[in-house]
Amino acid sequence: MTKKNYIYILGCTCIVTLFSCKHGEGEYHNITDKIEAKSKNYHGTSISSEQLLEGIETVEISEGPHTFLIPERKSQIKSYACTECHTKPLHQLKTNDTIKKAHWDIKLAHANLNTMNCITCHNGNDMDNLKSLTGNTIDFNRSHKLCSQCHSKQFEDWKGGAHGKKVAGWAPPRASMTCVNCHNPHKPSFETRWPARFNTQKVKERE
Amino acid sequence: MSNNNKKWFSLDLGNTKKEATGSCGCGKTSGGCGSHTHDQISDKDFDAAVDAAIGDERKKDGFDQVFDVQMDRRTAFRKLTASLLIGAGAVSTSCSVTTGENAKEKAQIDWEEQFKGNYKLMTDEERNATVERLVRSYQLRKKKNINMSSKDAEKDVLFGYAFNISKCQGYMDCVSACVEENNQDRNSQMEYIRIHEMKDGKGFKFDEADDNYYHEVPAEGHFYMGTQCFHCDNPPCVDVCPVQATWREDDGLVVIDYDWCVGCRYCMAACPYDGRRFNWSTPEVPEEEVNKNQHYLGNRMRKKGVMEKCTFCVQRSRAGKNPACVEACPTGARIFGNLLDPDSTIRWVLENKKVFRLKEDLGTEPKFWYFMD
Repeated sequence: MTKKNYIYILGCTCIVTLFSCKHGEGEYHNITDKIEAKSKNYHGTSISSEQLLEGIETVEISEGPHTFLIPERKSQIKSYACTECHTKPLHQLKTNDTIKKAHWDIKLAHANLNTMNCITCHNGNDMDNLKSLTGNTIDFNRSHKLCSQCHSKQFEDWKGGAHGKKVAGWAPPRASMTCVNCHNPHKPSFETRWPARFNTQKVKERE
Repeated sequence: MSNNNKKWFSLDLGNTKKEATGSCGCGKTSGGCGSHTHDQISDKDFDAAVDAAIGDERKKDGFDQVFDVQMDRRTAFRKLTASLLIGAGAVSTSCSVTTGENAKEKAQIDWEEQFKGNYKLMTDEERNATVERLVRSYQLRKKKNINMSSKDAEKDVLFGYAFNISKCQGYMDCVSACVEENNQDRNSQMEYIRIHEMKDGKGFKFDEADDNYYHEVPAEGHFYMGTQCFHCDNPPCVDVCPVQATWREDDGLVVIDYDWCVGCRYCMAACPYDGRRFNWSTPEVPEEEVNKNQHYLGNRMRKKGVMEKCTFCVQRSRAGKNPACVEACPTGARIFGNLLDPDSTIRWVLENKKVFRLKEDLGTEPKFWYFMD
């Protein structure tokens, strides 16, 4: 009798296990399984961002395993090349007169003066380029290399795509905004401001 | 009320022999337990009063209430003539030689729109035809041209979304962009997106969060979290729709056929995330603000009494663009992309950041992940 019972229970368990998961066509346990299974044979789609990127000048960068486009920067800087004014090294251009100087509007609000000042990023002898902490030249179009010296965590996220915005659409080729497209390098933090809208109808409904 | 007139089925377990027990738990119909007072009318009197007031009506249900009515010849003729006149009116506008060409065309379009099928079941020709009709109809009525698409889901695309709760500053630029992009009703200030202002260190308390703040943001000691339609892979709203006016497309978008929706709002009740909105009045958008780049399943003009919701901007996303909210966000808190593309940024976020979803235990499988820096 007990043996019969065991067989009965075993049979029931088998049936329950067999029918408990719906293994119909196109059905997965969860979305993660589904994504994994369906992306195994991914060969791209016909949708492309190329058309949306037309008219936006970009440069291709490769960082680790990631290769993508970022907006070209030099053409966006109002008075580039800097050497058009900075014809001589900076110390030779220095004067003690009190007239309003160029770049008077730039106030450095980035870290503190112990950590950073102008020459942390700029090179007085080579104004057309940026410089790394060790004094190597960094092109203005590759300014992320400068930021990534300190902001390594953000840099990792940016490379992968978790930090920063995309240019144009979601489809490949990937084009991401670079650091300075959102952050003013002299004053990088976001400011507080008023929300874009206020829903007066919602207030009425909840009275 | 007699027992054979019940409107629902009740199980007979053999304990129905009790006679009328009155409205009191004590079982007596008069006096005794203290709760019976003399000025209370008896059940019999109450039934009689109700009968006198609404007569046979309450014994009839649904179909019978409409069709099983007492009618003499005169009323019957009057009603028939009335309905005939309405029908004749419709025919005469479309066939008459005196009405203008435009009016005829309008009537023709309205007629065909009225009797078209469910979008899901339409062939490609039928889809193109209804899109053409809607475009022409708008042209006739508003004298403006719109561009409407009926683009299908692309192969090998599954849309997913990620929201960075440490980046969102609560500026609500996304909400504004969404309203403008999707032609939402300006009168009722309908918004698909809600941004919840939550207190730091309190967890996700949606009941205590404020989703309609108006002060400088980000506020000290708060973080911001946006909710909208999560385009669940196992959407409960789709299951409950009695007319199959809402469904999940192959690229994962949960969409609505506004012309098939009967406005029962079951989906609104079924959605655990408050993702759906209802048009209580005819949506109004100032003509110059109407977004003319439309999709049949997306931002085309809705009518009164239908559901609508975020479609991940189907008119944009199926053309390769990012949804309006993603494009408008100044902080980069919103990430959108193809979940099936192993090189996409959304996949990197899912694989490398600590992500979570809301109410994961419900098994709705939302394709909307939250993450932190």
